[in-house]
Amino acid sequence: LSGRQEAESTAVPSKQMLHSENMEMEPETMETKSVTDYFSKMHMGTVMTSCNTKQK
Amino acid sequence: DQSFHVRYRMEASCLELALEGERLCKVGDYRAGVSFFEAAIQVGTEDLQVLSAIYSQLGNAYFHLHDYTKALEYHHHDLTLTRTIGDRLGEAKASGNLGNTLKVLGRFDEAVVCCQRHLDIARDLHDKVGEARALYNFGNVYHAKGKSICYSGADPGDFPEEAMVALRKAAEYYEANLFIVKEIEDRAAQGRTYGNLGNTHYLLGNFRNAVIFHEQRLLIAKEFGDKAAERRAYCNLGNAFIFLGEFEVAAEHYKKTLQLARQLKDRAVEAQACYSLGNTYTLLQDYERAIDYHLKHLIIAQDLNDRIGEGRACWSLGNAYTALGNHDQAMHFAEKHLEISKETGDRSGELTARMNVSDLQMVLGLTYSTNSSLLSENKEADYNHDETRSRTGRRHSMENLELMKLTPDKLNVHK
Repeated sequence: LSGRQEAESTAVPSKQMLHSENMEMEPETMETKSVTDYFSKMHMGTVMTSCNTKQK
Repeated sequence: DQSFHVRYRMEASCLELALEGERLCKVGDYRAGVSFFEAAIQVGTEDLQVLSAIYSQLGNAYFHLHDYTKALEYHHHDLTLTRTIGDRLGEAKASGNLGNTLKVLGRFDEAVVCCQRHLDIARDLHDKVGEARALYNFGNVYHAKGKSICYSGADPGDFPEEAMVALRKAAEYYEANLFIVKEIEDRAAQGRTYGNLGNTHYLLGNFRNAVIFHEQRLLIAKEFGDKAAERRAYCNLGNAFIFLGEFEVAAEHYKKTLQLARQLKDRAVEAQACYSLGNTYTLLQDYERAIDYHLKHLIIAQDLNDRIGEGRACWSLGNAYTALGNHDQAMHFAEKHLEISKETGDRSGELTARMNVSDLQMVLGLTYSTNSSLLSENKEADYNHDETRSRTGRRHSMENLELMKLTPDKLNVHK
């Protein structure tokens, strides 16, 4: 019987095995570039240039 | 005139293809996005800013698709290009992306160099947003480095010194980031930093601090109505409360995680929450509830064809039934755990399962043979010998290979 009790107690895993290994990390932040942005800047540049030209 | 026309047409179609690639990536179809970007490169462009934007987006698309070798290749092309044309802001961005990719690939020292370049340029350009982002990336690299040195099976706060040094550095970078993102009132960035800072303190064994940071993260997640971030915070809070020994509080947080996982229809996370709840109720010695949650976990693991998860569920169920004294059910799950760990090549799991099966064979043998005193005595003697082995085995790491020498012989005795 003592052996049986022993089996019951050893079969309950330690806290070590019970903690969650599942740590939830926050997402990475990637730097972004975009052709659209570049294009709108270019377009803005063109508009600005033409305005300047007109002023002249 | 003819060649100008051809070149004009090519530039136009390169742009059209890139714009379509951009649109597809924005809606999350990275696979299709990649094809358009690659087609755009095939056509070619003489505008190096456009080419840089294509390389960068290809790198990010491959990053999202978890093809890190390809991501590395394109972010590297982008870095070379931006340096050639002297585009400092572009170089900073390429360095940041390259650093993140190298981090995922476990190449931490190179990642650190990239983060430093990102940070230096951002500071040169007085770009506060860029500086904060570089500091966040730095923190992530040191966090990942620290975590990679933590050996499995060790408790948080109990890792090798080298891991602790990296984790402390991560905390420093996150703190530096937090200072800036508070200054520029970027709440979303604050939320991310609080979350990872909480996880870093958790690994450092500062569980009270971890709770404080995760509570801040939770607050911001609620502000934004960001359910996924809210779920992450609850899960991380649950983990920290386990180590504070506040199991009831941990269970409440895991229940919130479960609720949100169901709302978000994320089956894998739902399974994880059930598993955590099962373990928490085991710690509370409420084995009926533990079994209930482990069974829920088992069902989802089977649905998702997750054999490793299924094995873990069987192991946990075996333990819980043993604790309740239901040795027949315990044996059923221990045998299933053995079968699955053999199939998945999980050596330490197989060893644990073999020990559990042999322990249970002993207990069941004792129950069935109470009428024969001689047999009982023999079994008892054998059992005690067995116990000495299995207790030692459990006390040490489960990956202790010394046990392998003992196990086959012991199994033959019982079979």
